[in-house]
Amino acid sequence: MIEITLEVNGKKRSLNVQPRRLLADVLRQEFNLSGVHIGCAQGACGCCTVHVDGSPRLSCLTFAAQCDNKTIRTVESVGGVYAEHPLQSAFRTEHGLQCGYCTPGFLMTLVPFVDAMVEEERMPDDEEIREAMSGNICRCTGYQGIVAAVRSAIGAGLERSAEK
Amino acid sequence: MTQSMDRPKHIGARILRSEDTRFLSGAARYIDDIRVPEMLHLKFVRSQIAHGRILEIDKSGLDDIGFPTQIFTGDDIGGLSIKAHQDVPEMQFSVQPLLARERVRFVGEPVAAVLADDAYLAEDAAEQVFVDYEPLPVVATMAQARDPDVPGLFENWRTNVFVERQMKGGDIAKARAEAAHIVTRTYSTQRQAGVPMEGRGVIAEFSPADRMLTVWSSTQIPHLLQTCIAEELGWPESHLRVIAPDVGGGFGVKGQVFVEEVLVAWLAVKIGRPVKWIEDRREHLTASIHARDHSHTLEAYVSADGRLLGLKADISVDVGAYSTFPFTAGGDPGMAAKVMPGPYDFQHYEATFRALATNKCPIGTYRGVGRPSAVFSQERLMDDIAKELGLDPIEFRLKNVVRQFPYKNALGFTYDPGSYAETLEKIRDLLAEDCAAAVASRSVPGKRIGVGIACFVEQTAHGTPDFTRRRVPIETGYIAAQVEMTPDGKAVVGIGLQSHGQGHETVMAQVAADALGISPSDVLVRHGDTATTPYSVGTWGSRGGALGGGAVHLAATRIADKLKAIAGHLLQADPGSIVLHDGEAYPEGNPDNAVKISKLARAALRNVDLLPEGMPPGLEAQYSLDGPGDGTYSNAVHAAVVEIDTSSGKMQLKRFVVVEDCGTILNPLIVDGQVRGGVVQGIGSAIFEHFIYDEECQPLTVTFADYLMPLAPEIPNIEVHHIETPTTRTPLGAKGLGEGGAIGPAAAIANAVADALQVDVASTPLNANAIWRLIARMREEA
Repeated sequence: MIEITLEVNGKKRSLNVQPRRLLADVLRQEFNLSGVHIGCAQGACGCCTVHVDGSPRLSCLTFAAQCDNKTIRTVESVGGVYAEHPLQSAFRTEHGLQCGYCTPGFLMTLVPFVDAMVEEERMPDDEEIREAMSGNICRCTGYQGIVAAVRSAIGAGLERSAEK
Repeated sequence: MTQSMDRPKHIGARILRSEDTRFLSGAARYIDDIRVPEMLHLKFVRSQIAHGRILEIDKSGLDDIGFPTQIFTGDDIGGLSIKAHQDVPEMQFSVQPLLARERVRFVGEPVAAVLADDAYLAEDAAEQVFVDYEPLPVVATMAQARDPDVPGLFENWRTNVFVERQMKGGDIAKARAEAAHIVTRTYSTQRQAGVPMEGRGVIAEFSPADRMLTVWSSTQIPHLLQTCIAEELGWPESHLRVIAPDVGGGFGVKGQVFVEEVLVAWLAVKIGRPVKWIEDRREHLTASIHARDHSHTLEAYVSADGRLLGLKADISVDVGAYSTFPFTAGGDPGMAAKVMPGPYDFQHYEATFRALATNKCPIGTYRGVGRPSAVFSQERLMDDIAKELGLDPIEFRLKNVVRQFPYKNALGFTYDPGSYAETLEKIRDLLAEDCAAAVASRSVPGKRIGVGIACFVEQTAHGTPDFTRRRVPIETGYIAAQVEMTPDGKAVVGIGLQSHGQGHETVMAQVAADALGISPSDVLVRHGDTATTPYSVGTWGSRGGALGGGAVHLAATRIADKLKAIAGHLLQADPGSIVLHDGEAYPEGNPDNAVKISKLARAALRNVDLLPEGMPPGLEAQYSLDGPGDGTYSNAVHAAVVEIDTSSGKMQLKRFVVVEDCGTILNPLIVDGQVRGGVVQGIGSAIFEHFIYDEECQPLTVTFADYLMPLAPEIPNIEVHHIETPTTRTPLGAKGLGEGGAIGPAAAIANAVADALQVDVASTPLNANAIWRLIARMREEA
């Protein structure tokens, strides 16, 4: 067992983990964060994407023991229980989800992308948006609603920053 | 049986999905999110060879492993099995044991179940179990399966043909004799699968206190699973509850009952502790179910002026090692044979169709079931005939599609009104520029553009007669809804469907709200739990909106009638004149004389003294809606535009257009989402997805690095256009639409490739290798 300290969704906690335990399993079981979904455990589908120190990481290919003293964010922290983040709202209005299983992974991949575009004050074309989600598989939507949601969330972000 | 409704305002509206918030926030509960105290975790030991005799299962590695384990093998469970027999003389009998006994028949077949207190430990323990096999010769191809000299995979089998049958109508010899042109082609569609992002999973718990066995499963068919477990285990169905929690995609894959589901239920009772099994991706890709894997030889008889006179079909499907429950090994070939006449007007048809047994993962249902393969062959054939006759493919189809409704086809199925010619005309207009660009590209070296279409009709929401004819365990296809109001005037709908992405919670609330005159946000929809929803067949076969929506409408209308009677009594007005609207009841044209619907509900349930004399209290109704005997026929035309770089072989899908007709649209947001999602799965069928086995039937595609799912950068926006021809065969005029999107793309894209390169295209997937070979053929033929 290894003792590690994780800051997860703003709360710091120390715990003992077996070296082989995946970050995804520790988040799901020890932290009760069931929004972390495992789709393949092979690093190919993106369902398990979380943020480690601010960057998207595949929690199925990351050992919890690698994350000592790191800051983790999961989908639960993005917009609260009512899913009020602008990208979450845009997923709703653009029908960017159906069964919902891949959705947390897409959100965790795309929230930083939306933020970066707003920061850079530019609207990417569809090709760039699709490339940004090329590490995530959605089997239900055909991606179009997700692309539209990203576009809509960036548009809203650009409007907000123009008002400032 | 179309019923009038009081001012529908929610049906047909683009209402956002009420279920979305829990999926977006991470609060949804899928099977792996369910934890039961004291539960054991199960890991399967699965066969690593495709065909062999089990000589020994060495469990000694578990003796000193250092933590508690339990192991069960085929000998421990006796004769428990999945029995998926088609009750016809041509069907050879077989069963699938819950755990292999004596013999394994495909790589991935469960051989032993190992249990431990933690999923990691169960996996450690399973790795310590060694199985010794005596390999047997494998049946790897359709040709081997039909070879009478190859020994049968099951006791007393003559050949490795599960079942071979015929369907016919009219006089095929007459069509042949009258034909000016006979066009014969063979087409094939590869093995692939639905591949939901969430795999399968089962948890079972037996409670000695009330003798209830509760099974959670990631399934589309909770009631059928309940019945299948009860019958196999001899368990009273009253004491069995199946719950499908949030399900992360199904697409038909989770529309079968699997050995794992029955076994986990049996283990929970046997051990006396809850048992949990969560499938991993490798298991899913090798040992859940696969789909397609068809080969069709078609012979078309055509008159001198380009009219189809008749069609002869020979259909083979490699259905793998076992017959699946409840649609059986005969399901896919039977469906292909049934739907092959398609939207075309001819009266002579004959099909021979067979299910062939090989040492591969069993074939089961996947979005479209037989139709994507049938439409691939049928629509490639239409283009090949048009080419041979020198006709434009769209004009050739327009000459032959059914235009007079109702239309009885060669097999005796009666099509209700659709828009076959209209959808073709619309697609012709939408694609005119692309067609011109395709022709122009042929005179420019290096780049070819191609346009292809697929025109199809889809039998949906079919009722009991269609299933009893098949003589398979599915038996029927009805959906039931139960609606009740609470004293505060809100409604609870229990629907015998399971929503795994289709948005039933939203759509069924829209339907109930319109009938009851309340807001959809005041309707709670329950589904996926046999304890809280009425018995139904579950979600499959494009019947959720058409039959589920219809059942909710009819049940809610019964409550509405009672509300109107109470309102009439309280307002001293004719109940027949009462309308229910925006939470109030009032006589038509007199909204000032209104009573709140919540007051009517309270009268029915609490202030019963206010009811008309003799009216019993209560405000609930149930309706079980069977589908129409022949179903109701949706139709669509799909069109693909491809650009092929003939120097590199790179193909790009430039455009994909759908013109579809699913009758009354209940919620356009959801309809468009279903169409687009289905189309992209069809694009996967056309270009990317392929389960490959080697000559020893070892699967070579066991991860998402080998089995290529469509990713966002490869997929264009899907343009969707609607024509609405409501049907009189369902209460709301809706036809089924969930599967249609996946049916056309393989044919449309193959036709586009054939158009671009001006070569015959006979099979999918049209991946980079296939395109490269076709370019080589184009050069040879030039």
